[in-house]
Amino acid sequence: MDDDAVFKALADPSRRLLLDLLFERDGRTLTELDAELEMTRFGVMKHLKVLEEAGLVVARKQGREKLHFLNAVPIRQIHDRWIDKYTEHRVSALLDLKNELEETA
Amino acid sequence: MTTTTTTETTTQVYQVFIKASPEQIWDALTKPEFTEKYFYGARVDSTVEVGSPWRYQGPDGSLWGDETVFEADPPNKLVVGWRSLYSPELADEPASRITWEIQAHEGSYSQLTVVHDQLDGSPKTAESVSGAGWMMVLSGLKTLLETGKPLAD
Repeated sequence: MDDDAVFKALADPSRRLLLDLLFERDGRTLTELDAELEMTRFGVMKHLKVLEEAGLVVARKQGREKLHFLNAVPIRQIHDRWIDKYTEHRVSALLDLKNELEETA
Repeated sequence: MTTTTTTETTTQVYQVFIKASPEQIWDALTKPEFTEKYFYGARVDSTVEVGSPWRYQGPDGSLWGDETVFEADPPNKLVVGWRSLYSPELADEPASRITWEIQAHEGSYSQLTVVHDQLDGSPKTAESVSGAGWMMVLSGLKTLLETGKPLAD
């Protein structure tokens, strides 16, 4: 919904590391994530909150635990909005060139 | 360290904000004229009553899914079974579960959350729906409701 929040959330190496950790293994508790970062528990909580507000992390209660899940949909939307638009033309021009060269080879 | 590692690794969560009412999203999930426009052409077929069948019919008329409605609380929560019949390899795996949660937000937005879980015994299904699989469905649904048009290929 809010690109600014997503870009801001991604503009920090600790937050990107948290996303990578969840990509490797999804659905982790704060304690598990905390163990992977050289940072106070409070610091990790703050970063997770920014990621949650940007929609990049979804926290869900499972029994007594609160698990954090990676939600890649906002990144996909940014990809569709910003990456496709600028790369499509160039990539297709290169593909055309490749096809042409291979046909005449 | 006394870290408990009871982590659930067989749950996938996807969330998206859609500029639509919860009722519109509910209709988009439960009516075939909507699902065929964003769910890989599949038409849903269900009375959406608890215990009744939850089926998808593929564009070629074959059955893509034939499970059950576990919970229906319109327009906020829908829980159904899932088994991908369109692939023999995936159809061999046990059924998993899909929970759709719809929450109204300010500014005429709704938050749609999809939780695909109980995938413990279905690694191939988990792999096939992860990432682009669900994201295509959700971005198609969002585009359809916000613009009235299906997502272009």
